[in-house]
Amino acid sequence: MTHAQSFPAPAGSSWARPSAARRSLLAGLLACAVPFALPAGPAWAAETTLTVAAATFPDSLQTGISTFTSTSLLMQTYDPLVARTNKGDYVPALAESWEPTGPDAWRFHLRRGVKFHDGSDFTAEDVKFTLDRIIDPKTAYGFAGRISQVSGVTILDPYTVEVRTKGTFPILPKAVADMPMESKRYYEKDGAEAARRHPLGTGPFVYGNWIAGDRYELTANKQYWGGAPKVDRLLIRQVPEAATRVAALLSGEAQIVEELPIDVLDQIKASRVAAVASTPTTVGLVLTFDPRKPPFDNPKVREALDLAIDKDLILKEILKGQGEVLDGQLLTRATFGHDPAIRARPYDPKRAKELLQEAKYDFKTPIAITTQSGKYVSDVDICNAVAGMFGEVGLNASVNVLEGGVFLKQWNAKEMGPLYMIGWYSLGDADFATVWYTEAGKRTTWVDAEYEKLFSEARATNDSALREKDYGRMMQILHQQTPSIFLFGLPSLYGVSSKISGFEAASDKILRLKDVAVR
Amino acid sequence: MLNYVARRLFYVPLSILIVLGAAFVVLRTTGNPIDIFLDPNHTPEQAKALSARLHLDQPIPVQFAIYLRDVLRGDFGESLQFGGPAMPAVLGRLGATLELLAAALAVALVLGIAGGVACAVWRDRVPDFVISTLAIAAQSMPSFWLGILLIQIFAVDLRWLPTSGRGDLAHLILPATTLAAFVLPNFVLITRTSMLEVMGEPFVVTGRAKGLSAATLVFAHVFPNALNPILSFLGVQVGRLVAGSIVTETIFSWPGIGRLLIGSIFQRDVPVVLAGVVVVSLFIVLANLAVDLLLSVNDPRIRLG
Repeated sequence: MTHAQSFPAPAGSSWARPSAARRSLLAGLLACAVPFALPAGPAWAAETTLTVAAATFPDSLQTGISTFTSTSLLMQTYDPLVARTNKGDYVPALAESWEPTGPDAWRFHLRRGVKFHDGSDFTAEDVKFTLDRIIDPKTAYGFAGRISQVSGVTILDPYTVEVRTKGTFPILPKAVADMPMESKRYYEKDGAEAARRHPLGTGPFVYGNWIAGDRYELTANKQYWGGAPKVDRLLIRQVPEAATRVAALLSGEAQIVEELPIDVLDQIKASRVAAVASTPTTVGLVLTFDPRKPPFDNPKVREALDLAIDKDLILKEILKGQGEVLDGQLLTRATFGHDPAIRARPYDPKRAKELLQEAKYDFKTPIAITTQSGKYVSDVDICNAVAGMFGEVGLNASVNVLEGGVFLKQWNAKEMGPLYMIGWYSLGDADFATVWYTEAGKRTTWVDAEYEKLFSEARATNDSALREKDYGRMMQILHQQTPSIFLFGLPSLYGVSSKISGFEAASDKILRLKDVAVR
Repeated sequence: MLNYVARRLFYVPLSILIVLGAAFVVLRTTGNPIDIFLDPNHTPEQAKALSARLHLDQPIPVQFAIYLRDVLRGDFGESLQFGGPAMPAVLGRLGATLELLAAALAVALVLGIAGGVACAVWRDRVPDFVISTLAIAAQSMPSFWLGILLIQIFAVDLRWLPTSGRGDLAHLILPATTLAAFVLPNFVLITRTSMLEVMGEPFVVTGRAKGLSAATLVFAHVFPNALNPILSFLGVQVGRLVAGSIVTETIFSWPGIGRLLIGSIFQRDVPVVLAGVVVVSLFIVLANLAVDLLLSVNDPRIRLG
């Protein structure tokens, strides 16, 4: 077979007795078989530890990565000025109160007596430092666009800051909710590198150890201004595979697991050791048309496709009843600006066919539904179901799955093809989601003059009643013109061990663990 | 021999350069790190600043030239996701991957060789039939499925081992077994074939005629002569193991290089991907070189040079 057997071995040569080298080779192979032991994990015996299995981790703990998974980890050690609750309400955090002072400024009154984990005081200096750093383009701060109207920050006294804006900016207090307040002193003393490696904030937990792609270990901040956490230690582990996360929950290794897959809900419920915690998110999943060219330049054709989808059936069978069917509009029910008068179009394949025939639609036109895989709950399954339902009214639909980077590249170039699926989060305020249908959002292929005008008006007033009226009208325009088919408000699903209490599913998927106790 | 090693190593930078160039062009043309890293709300000033920092405002060949210039100075670039230098981010994950690979290889080699020897010794009898059947069954079992199955049995039902993560020896058992199963059947089959071939050689018959015991013959004479094809095969399998480790690392949340690279590809974090490519290529080259050296040690007739 190879050279080793090519010749008969000469009598009395080395093959009769293994040579020293050969022996040591065999010994080496045997040595490989003895696996090497590693130092055991941290022994946290007497203290209580809460273990969370997270689906995704950011690569580092630097601030400014604009994903909720990053924000979720950062908010363990940091606090924002204004905090969001699990339900999506906005409540005082490091700012005790705030009010607009004139048409283009907000004043924030800071909480007194708050200390960073190094014992130094949290003051207006830190707020100014943090906000200035965010709006500096060189920082590449992911969320900076949310407060791009901010023009400057002034310290009025150690516990009062004024934030000046270009024009009226009603949503500023909500827009800063995902921005952790950092210590000016720490940056000046130890630098940005230290702040990234060893986050130092005012939050409920104190940084312990971080291993990228593996684990984040924290300890309770007993001096936390909002009351000490009920566990001594917190361990957040990244477990990317959903089936493994479920196994970690059922075996008792983890007490909370994120992003529970829909297909195991019944198994968890039947297990007795764990339960499902779920809440609607503010993410509206939609199928967006390209109305710049035929056939979807015709609103009747867009309406027909909307009528052809049995959304209730998909919600029941694929999403297992979790989440909600959107009310024929972009915003989820709990969001400010949602118009309860609008209803989703009923499933009516007969009417859909009629509309298409009236519009002289060519049924051979290929419709590729473009989506990412694994970005949203059951995304590809939903697209497949939709394509099947389109097929039932005679449409020629297929599903085109794109990798995330390619998807974003085409999306930014406005080349998504006739129909694509995307989820828009509103974080509880219409402004964050409605911007994507305006020229200001830079991605829309559908433009409407009245909608643009209403959006600008609502963005530039502090009058809530007027804003609500404007958003209501914008929802009606979206419903009538159907630039997108509004599918589902997505759920946020967690698996929770019966050994813990005090955990609530979060609509924004940020872990809030201060009140969680381990029995 | 030194001459041989030097000559082998001489071509390494060339092949790595080709791989780097290809990876660079694909990553740059299929996605933009700015779109991925910054929120869709990002301001034009932010995009411009980041573009300049990553040299995205230059044509791709110029970007690659800048990259190579920096690499020659020992600078593999800054990772956007890690907010720091790329190479330490990769090297930080190397230990976990090496640990998993070494354990899996050890399991695959020991069990594979033992199984193969047993098959050859009891050729066409019950042990051969059982082991060969198991090997073929294992070969057709996807690691993904096997991993989940092992977790279900040993972590959820029996609670003997942890489900996932890296830690003490217990954490290593399931992922190493899963990864080993990916290559183990091949080791069984190649050992069996190689042993059978040597067992048919005249010197074995002579040994038997001289009255040597079966055990002495098999372990002292046949096995050392059958070892080289197994070792050559090992060299090939190292590359396959590295590829297979990505799935295993994902199922068992093992913080290794495979998962790091996949994540960095999705983020178009070019410095990390390329630093990873360099590390993995070097590892595979060195592993193969080590195998070649082992071959010549085991069989002095093999002259490297």
